[in-house]
Amino acid sequence: MDKEESPQIPRRTTRSLSTPSTSNIVPAAKVNSSLESLTINDLLVGGDPVSLDDIISSFPGRSSQIHEIVRLLGPLNSPLLPLFVYGGASTGKTSIILQLFRHLNRPLVYSSCRTCYNQRILFESVLNQLLLHSKNAANCYANAKRCERPSDFVNFLREALTGVINNLKEKSEKMISKKKVHDGKTGNMIYLVFDNFHLVRDWDKSSTILPLLFNLYDMLKMLEVGLIFISSTSPDTFYTNMGYVEPIPIYFPDYTEGDIRQILLRNQANQKLYSSFLDVALKPFCRITRQVGELSTALKPLFEKYCEPLSDKGKGVVPSEDMKRRLFNHIKPHIASSLNDVFKVSSAPSSEVETGKQTKHQGNPKRSERSEEIGDLDFHMSTSAKYLLISAFLASRNPATLDASLFDSKGGSDNRKRKRKASEKALEKKEMLEEELLMKGPGTFPLERLIAIFQCIVSVAEDPADEDEQKNEELGAQCGSGSLMSDVLLQLSTLCNANFIFKGKSCPIEGSTRYRSTISEDLVLKVARSLKFPLSKYLYRS
Amino acid sequence: MEGENALNLLRSRICDTGFIFKDSSDTNYSKLKFMISTSVAEACNNSILLLGPRGSGKLAVLDLVLQDLLIQYPDSISVVRLNGLLHCDDISAFKEIARQLCMEHQLLFSKAASFDDNSQFMVAVLKECGLAHKTVIFILDEFDLFAQGKQRLLYSLLDAMQSVSSQAVVLGISCRLDADQLLEKRVRSRFSHRKLLFLPPSIEDSQRLLVHMLTLPIDSSLPYDYAVEFNKKVQNIIEDKRFKEIFNKLLNFDSSVKHLLKFLFYAVSHMDLQTGFLSRENFETAFTNIQRQPKLECLKNCSVLELYILVSMKRLEVKEKSLCNFNAVMKEYKNIHDSFQTSDYYARNVCLRAFEHLLHRELLCFTDNRGHSLSVEFRPVKLLISSAELHQGLKAYQSCPAILQKLVERDG
Repeated sequence: MDKEESPQIPRRTTRSLSTPSTSNIVPAAKVNSSLESLTINDLLVGGDPVSLDDIISSFPGRSSQIHEIVRLLGPLNSPLLPLFVYGGASTGKTSIILQLFRHLNRPLVYSSCRTCYNQRILFESVLNQLLLHSKNAANCYANAKRCERPSDFVNFLREALTGVINNLKEKSEKMISKKKVHDGKTGNMIYLVFDNFHLVRDWDKSSTILPLLFNLYDMLKMLEVGLIFISSTSPDTFYTNMGYVEPIPIYFPDYTEGDIRQILLRNQANQKLYSSFLDVALKPFCRITRQVGELSTALKPLFEKYCEPLSDKGKGVVPSEDMKRRLFNHIKPHIASSLNDVFKVSSAPSSEVETGKQTKHQGNPKRSERSEEIGDLDFHMSTSAKYLLISAFLASRNPATLDASLFDSKGGSDNRKRKRKASEKALEKKEMLEEELLMKGPGTFPLERLIAIFQCIVSVAEDPADEDEQKNEELGAQCGSGSLMSDVLLQLSTLCNANFIFKGKSCPIEGSTRYRSTISEDLVLKVARSLKFPLSKYLYRS
Repeated sequence: MEGENALNLLRSRICDTGFIFKDSSDTNYSKLKFMISTSVAEACNNSILLLGPRGSGKLAVLDLVLQDLLIQYPDSISVVRLNGLLHCDDISAFKEIARQLCMEHQLLFSKAASFDDNSQFMVAVLKECGLAHKTVIFILDEFDLFAQGKQRLLYSLLDAMQSVSSQAVVLGISCRLDADQLLEKRVRSRFSHRKLLFLPPSIEDSQRLLVHMLTLPIDSSLPYDYAVEFNKKVQNIIEDKRFKEIFNKLLNFDSSVKHLLKFLFYAVSHMDLQTGFLSRENFETAFTNIQRQPKLECLKNCSVLELYILVSMKRLEVKEKSLCNFNAVMKEYKNIHDSFQTSDYYARNVCLRAFEHLLHRELLCFTDNRGHSLSVEFRPVKLLISSAELHQGLKAYQSCPAILQKLVERDG
């Protein structure tokens, strides 16, 4: 492993896994300066040569897959039928392929369908690499070829590939004439690697691009070209009407518990202590998830907890049986609790957490809901935005017909007194309504309703004139001064952008835009608590 | 070293479609050659469809025929190749035709030429070629894709062939056996309904192909003794009873040539380079590794919690709930927990993430494509795994909780 930690920077990287096992792949940067023209050597992965044994030892539990790929890639200059490498997330597909090419020292063209997110970018990225073209200021960051249609792509690709292959052949002939046998041989083969191939299915023109890429090998009819597809879903998820000849499957299963243990043990300062920790903690976590990335983030804070009773944070301690038992008793309650919140990020300082959370909200609304369930509300929001959030939630949850009775001056408290004894039929109806809410999710509402509810709850909040809640009174004063409307609309658009409220297309019948609140009840409860707002009073329970 | 050379030779054979169909006593080859060569020799128009499943060697046989004919009539044939995957819209198809014709006749191709220019150019070239007694052969791969839309390309091609002066052969290649039914009336009436059917080889033919592929040439760079020894071993393997069993199973599954080649490629690349000989074990591993059961593999990867969610969903499905989303699954999950007091009861957020994992693994999928306005919990989902597979998967899962198996068995 240490051997691989080369000062030279490899040309390509994979996304860094959370385990330190692949930390030898440092962030990408061109080795040569951008002005220098690229040579055929730039199609190699680069970095110091690695031996096969090194690769196998740096990827625990993957030796059979590594051997299989090496065998299928075959010796120098042997043609290759297309390969289809698949397996779940974080199982080492990309890293192993790249490391193997580093070991074999053969040229490859790597393009990830995640960064090349449509067919044009994919085509141009492949061509750029093949034509040894680097985007820089001198050429205004232009692509080597402008290529949008598949037909142009195949023509250009054929041209570029013949160029590269001739280049490679010349090079290997020179090698032979110079009698430089075996070391640094690159061969005549060029490999095209398409990573994250499953994403292609979601592209606009996936119905044409998928069969095109799968049939590319037959279309090109060039023996010197090898195709490798890397996907996180199995080949059967690619079946379409079109049909194609299936590539050769290579399967990467998820790591077993033993493999995970080995991976997590790597790069730990105190192996013995960590191993005794894993004895205790790994098993329950493995019942929930077996993805290495998630496990390592979940286990990290737990290990710190585990080391707490030790004097020097567990450095250089060899745990005895007695100590293990003591530590186990110490950690046991923590394991049980941390099993149920996998998203906690505790190690970062609080300010960072806050900003991190905020950006998270904007990026992914679904995640944010869950991270919010831990602890108190830990992001800042203006009071009027909070009220707006609550009113949006109420508008989504409550049926519109009940607005009048809920938001009358008494705050809907007499609603309960009117309740009759529920008959069987009513109960059934109630159940059905509950079910519907569960299935349909939050409802939509027009802007007018939102504003009306907002005004109602703001006025109610200012009414009690609680001495403590100066904030609310201030807000109430603001409402009075008439600046409310413009402000609210601004806040609303902010909330929409942050994905707290979903703004739909305009309704074809009414013609107005409809909104929908996307936040969970827990989050709203928290927001309401921070405002000391009696949410439950306004929430309609069927 | 000789092992490596032999391996390289075998691998390049498998990847080279020309070699595979070279010596086959294929009647399609002679039929096709006869048809094309008569239309070239007698200067008439012709159109033929080559139909057959994927990987049955339609294009390979055609290429062999063309290779022969190009030697036979070097000056009177020019070939234009189109692929339905690349040129299914008329504009790019005509452009490609114009480009290839320009290349063929050393004319300058203008990228800026319009659709109209290109189609007129094609008709003009066809006429000229007819006058010069030169046959243009159009190869339309994935023919069925050209039959989408207005079929303008097919119409103008076949219409241009109606004139006396022109001389062209249109060869359609498709894996849809009803490809000619897709044509419009005006196109169909201009099409001569000649069809050549390419069927997957019989067991005997496959076996012959196997020998053809794996036998090393004795008179080549490889040492004579080695080649003889190698061929003997291959012969032994092929005659082995257990090998025959595997081979039959393979052909029962899919008897197309491409599938056989995949199998051979896998087996050959697992050849032991130390000894340099193939063994029966190579073929056995190839067989097991090529036949994959992705859903069962996927189930093996799941964590226990994910299995719980799958079983809950399966139960909902058995109850014939019309719609199912995360909330409904959670309700069922809670039901299971309440009635059986399982040790695996986790918080909602943890379950949601396991649920998302299942979505990523494609054991579940959303039933609606558009509902991006709803969050994951509310979007309806469906199960992508049959109950039989689930049952089988749970049985194979090592530490599967007994209760899950019982639940699935009870539901049947």
